[in-house]
Amino acid sequence: MTSSGTILLTGATGLLGRAVLTRLLAAGCRGQVVALVRDPRRASASFAAIPGSDRVSCVEGDLTRDGLGLSAAQRAMLRGSLRGVVHLAADTTFSRPLPAARAVNTDGTQRVLALAADCATPPRLAYVSTAFVAGRRTGEIAEAADPGGAGWVNHYEQSKWEAEQLVRQQAGAWTVLRCSTVVCDDASGGVTQFNAAHRALRLYRDGLAAMMPGVAGSTVDTVTTDYVASGVAALGLRDDTVGRTLQLCAGQRALPLEAMLDLCWDHWSRDTAWRRRSIPRPALADLTTYALFERTIEDTAEPSLKRVTRALSHFVPQLALPKQFATAMTDALLGAVAPDPLTYWPAMLDHLLRTLWGSVRRAA
Amino acid sequence: MSAATTCIAGTAYALPATSRSVRELAAAGQLQSSAELLETFGFGQVHVATAETPFALALQAAEALLTERGVERDRVDLLLWAGTPAVAYAAGGAAADAPSALGTTRRFHYPAMRLQYELGLERADVLALDQLACSTLFGAMRVAKALCESEGLDRVLCVSSEFFPGAAGREAIFNCTTDAACAVLVERGGTAGRMVATGQASKGYYWDCDARRDEIVASYFPTARHVVADTLRRAGWQPGDVTWVIPHNVSLRSWEILLGLTGIPRDRLWSRNIARHGHSLAGDNFINLRDATDAGDIRPGDKLLLFSYGYGAHWHALAVEA
Repeated sequence: MTSSGTILLTGATGLLGRAVLTRLLAAGCRGQVVALVRDPRRASASFAAIPGSDRVSCVEGDLTRDGLGLSAAQRAMLRGSLRGVVHLAADTTFSRPLPAARAVNTDGTQRVLALAADCATPPRLAYVSTAFVAGRRTGEIAEAADPGGAGWVNHYEQSKWEAEQLVRQQAGAWTVLRCSTVVCDDASGGVTQFNAAHRALRLYRDGLAAMMPGVAGSTVDTVTTDYVASGVAALGLRDDTVGRTLQLCAGQRALPLEAMLDLCWDHWSRDTAWRRRSIPRPALADLTTYALFERTIEDTAEPSLKRVTRALSHFVPQLALPKQFATAMTDALLGAVAPDPLTYWPAMLDHLLRTLWGSVRRAA
Repeated sequence: MSAATTCIAGTAYALPATSRSVRELAAAGQLQSSAELLETFGFGQVHVATAETPFALALQAAEALLTERGVERDRVDLLLWAGTPAVAYAAGGAAADAPSALGTTRRFHYPAMRLQYELGLERADVLALDQLACSTLFGAMRVAKALCESEGLDRVLCVSSEFFPGAAGREAIFNCTTDAACAVLVERGGTAGRMVATGQASKGYYWDCDARRDEIVASYFPTARHVVADTLRRAGWQPGDVTWVIPHNVSLRSWEILLGLTGIPRDRLWSRNIARHGHSLAGDNFINLRDATDAGDIRPGDKLLLFSYGYGAHWHALAVEA
């Protein structure tokens, strides 16, 4: 851990970023944290309740602008004081066209690397990536650089893979931290931020998920915000992780896909009204069959069902590309393993039902 | 009276004399989708009744079957009519119509009774089955099999005849529909055409099929996969054991998807009638069974899987050993 000097944190206003910031401030980081944000005033106000927030300063910036949109004075300040960078800002929308995904994820990372290279003393760099840079690769995914070549399911994956390459090529002392799919805040199962995984679960519960890609051995690897944020804060800037690629994933504990579908079905069928609708579990399809189904929906279905299928198409093919993320090195360095998904999935499903996927809270 | 001895002894069908191509139907405004899309899904032409009546074709099909099989008319124990009338929600009519409605007995002119009379099935009881849409004849097979095995009936004649009104639309959920009558003879004690296993799922939630169309589309494939898998399990067959899938004549695309889900090789689909006949509501599988047999494609011992879906709420499968 870089305990003195300034740390630049990108993505601090996101759910994961805020959690990382909280842990950085609590974990012995005695220096300043500079948060690169779009709206400094609003961000500062939102950080006020975090212990140690007096050591956080927010500067206006934007990953898509030259020089990150920083003023000359701000760049000069950072050049002289920066000791660490935790770069986790990203555009996580799976459906983005490649140029748009690259603009934030790849080119934005390039701009962060340029700032780092411009510093008097090159800072330690922690790059927060995704486990799914492995794309269409199947089997065990090593805690190491991915050679590419297998292709990707969406442009988010590709743009993050490209960013990893830039980090390895250009950063002096780097750590790549790949995260799996975050589905809830912590063991309580609470969900602050809803994502594509939650939307897919809702379609399933609403009886609109006809099929999902999947084969024998397919798993659903999920983690909590608490686990990932703790891992990033603890390992990202530590000396013994330099040059390592770490995977904050469930790994061997990932839920088998069919077990996940059964778990949801059993959970939701406690509601008599839901059970009486006789909603089937989605059928598991190979990618060829699923693509044929998608094409048929495009040719024939009502607009509402087309929207459903299009929403799924940007990530569910991963389910038919079985992979297991290696975590041995990460577990050893962290001294902990990711929580067993079975310890938080039931609570998370309860939360989704209770809040109707967040709509109850929003209405309130 | 073991389950293995109930057989489909034969099938016969009758079609109207007039055919219309998908393009002709489109030109006449009888399709919702384009002719090109329906052709992509495998449809070529359908049969359209102009002079024929549903009863006349039912009689023709049943007569042909009994004659071909050399069945003595007094050896048929049960005539089972399988149709799909949809009158449950018909309006009651205006109050002024009440006297004539109360006085009429026309509503009792049931085709099943007339068929029994005209075929000379003097010893046969008559039952009728409906509301299962395109899978009604599968329901009839199940009832016939059960009665052969539980009551010892030797011979059940199942008949369906499905027509659309002359100017009606000819498309149902991207399938091009045909008029046709079909007769199936079920016998106890035969060796060929053994009904090895049946499978069914019915989901009443989908009764309002217009309001729940998206959900119905979404439920079709997983439920179909489940019913097929369950029927294969009951038959003791693996997906690769199936020699032929004898389909209901819906879109080829949907069959490719379903076969992909069930693990049955796609080349096992006997699909040639989709283009030349289109989709008759209840008779498809048994018309196809007849044509596949006549074409010499089915050999003794072949394992046949018949599957149909009654729109909205019914999934049916039947495993038959030729």
